[in-house]
Amino acid sequence: MKGLNKVGDIVLLGLSSLAVHKVRSGLTAMGILFGVWSVIAMLAINEGASYESQQSLRQMGSDNLLIDSVKPSADESGAAQARGVLNYGITWSDQRTLIDNLPGVVRWTAAHRTQKSAQNGTKLIPCQVIGASPNYLDLGRLALVAGRFVSEADQTLCRNTAILTVSLARRLFGPDDPLDKVIRLGGESFRVVGLVDQPSRTMAAVPSELAMNLIFIPSATDKNRFGEFTVINTGSSRSRERVEVSQLIVQLADEKTVLNAAKVVRSLLSRSHDKRDYDITVPLELIEQRAKQRRLWNIMFFTVASISLLVGGIGIMNIMLASVTERTREIGIRRALGAKRRDIIVQFLVEAVTLTTVGGLTGIALGFAVPPVVQTLLKIPALLPAATMIIPFLMAVIVGLISGLYPAMRAAQLDPIEALRHE
Amino acid sequence: MMKELVRLESISKRYVMGRTVVTALDEVSLSIHEGEYVAIMGHSGSGKSTMLNVLGCLDKPTSGRYLLGGLDVSTMDDAALSDVRGRRIGFVFQSFNLIPQISVLANIEVPLFYLGMPRPQRHPRSSALADLVGLGHRKDHKPTELSGGQRQRVAVARALANDPLLILADEPTGNLDTRTSQEIMELFDDLYRRGRTIILVTHEDDVAGHARRVVRLKDGKVDSDSLSARGLAESKAAQT
Ligand SMILES: Nc1ncnc2c1ncn2[C@@H]1O[C@H](COP(=O)(O)OP(=O)(O)O)[C@@H](O)[C@H]1O
Ligand SMILES: [Mg+2]
Repeated sequence: MKGLNKVGDIVLLGLSSLAVHKVRSGLTAMGILFGVWSVIAMLAINEGASYESQQSLRQMGSDNLLIDSVKPSADESGAAQARGVLNYGITWSDQRTLIDNLPGVVRWTAAHRTQKSAQNGTKLIPCQVIGASPNYLDLGRLALVAGRFVSEADQTLCRNTAILTVSLARRLFGPDDPLDKVIRLGGESFRVVGLVDQPSRTMAAVPSELAMNLIFIPSATDKNRFGEFTVINTGSSRSRERVEVSQLIVQLADEKTVLNAAKVVRSLLSRSHDKRDYDITVPLELIEQRAKQRRLWNIMFFTVASISLLVGGIGIMNIMLASVTERTREIGIRRALGAKRRDIIVQFLVEAVTLTTVGGLTGIALGFAVPPVVQTLLKIPALLPAATMIIPFLMAVIVGLISGLYPAMRAAQLDPIEALRHE
Repeated sequence: MMKELVRLESISKRYVMGRTVVTALDEVSLSIHEGEYVAIMGHSGSGKSTMLNVLGCLDKPTSGRYLLGGLDVSTMDDAALSDVRGRRIGFVFQSFNLIPQISVLANIEVPLFYLGMPRPQRHPRSSALADLVGLGHRKDHKPTELSGGQRQRVAVARALANDPLLILADEPTGNLDTRTSQEIMELFDDLYRRGRTIILVTHEDDVAGHARRVVRLKDGKVDSDSLSARGLAESKAAQT
């Protein structure tokens, strides 16, 4: 009880001597403040950026595999060009082999893409036509905004129904409601039955200028009316391409089977394809890669920020050492009047830890301003998870303890008689 | 006869300075009883301060035995010595040695603080002590706002705070003019009358004249140890 009382008093003593040197204490605490603040800022920005990319990856589905047909590079495609037709990509036979051989397939969907122009009255807009089955809505992670997606009835009856992306609908119809309107597509009339949001990821190899202009139609209709050929107009020359399956999305039982399935897909496709005319996306692998990348970035950010904390710590040690020298006589007086070495150590440690704690807490308080400021100024997201707050704070306290310990020990080791003689 | 408070048995203090050895105290033996008022005199460098520091447990003798109130303090470690200083010794220094940033009362409370006395008890005690030394009207002043004499009064009050066995003063009037010296010495006289044991170091005969016993040091040895004029008068009065 008596001991506790004394410790409490020594803490107060440490605090009051800080109050005596307000400016010096304030400046020292500021060093820590910026250290802590920069740790928080860096962690928050990194956290936000990685959260965003993780989020977009998760949207592709961590239990999915995406296999896209891509046009092989020019030198590879030369050989495949027979009679002016470029043949490439995933074939129906590939599709069958994959679905039959992959372990743990829950659902799958295949889509076929052609390049056409959509027409409404006088407006003619180049676009990507995607023949899709009803489950593409879900597996392709599309968000229905209005109307409906491709239905089973559309498929069996080969109906001419179309689902547009919101942006394409706006370009074709302006402010008018596009639902139930008719557009012309590849010489056929299609009735608009639904609208979807712009998907976060469509297909590999979709020209970026067309990525916004997507039309989904029933895959049966697509096969019937348009076939596998697409005509590419490049300036004056025309070329024809033939792709059987543009995209295959396979959903697997769980995340554990995904990586194994990816391996099987890679080996099967590399056996049947002698050129790289396909692209395999494994969201889970990407997620893990990003996580690893993020850990690396975190380490780097942390190191840089820690250095600034360290600099703050050195500042504190410097101030505390100066304070010990300046107060040598006071230390001698206290020792002569009964203070033990331990009492002196506690007094100086309290000062150092108080400086860093106050600096650290202020840094954390200012840290709350990081996400809004970063978002408005840099247009990148920032997040403040608990660790972002606690870790820099603990670091500050530890820095305070370490940087205060050496000066405190030095103060305590002074010979009382020598200290009393000090001018 | 009063209880023996201080017993020095062949106390030596030597400083090794490179090749030479300075003997500040040379086999000093001395006994001081409760209630005595002793002046330690001698030329500069004769070992007065060294002796006072040993007596005050600020310094450890190189050899010899020191019993303070029956307790052997010559073998104690730093923490135990700090404790003895805090409980049994009251120091008054030539250069006052007050802590400049804190008030008169806070200065008087420093020894109480390290004794672990709770704040509510410290305050009335330091306040009473300030009144005792005649500084009732300066309690919240900082030492820098006080005259030399007033500062030394604070130091005396502080020396009394822990109700010490022994009050030690090293040239307490060394930095004061004649008049204030006189006032401070009256304060010591008063403490003596109240039964305090006082040992003070001085090289001024006037100051030493207040004590009842005078110990003269020469080259670290006790040169003489005798009653002062007042001491003689007192012992005569006691005999008749
Ligand atoms: N820390 C020290 N190191 C070396 N010599 C010292 C030290 N302290 C005192 N001395 C020497 O011891 C002797 C006695 O010193 P001191 O007790 O201060 O004398 P006084 O107080 O009588 O003037 C002197 O010769 C002094 O130089
Ligand atoms: Mg001296």
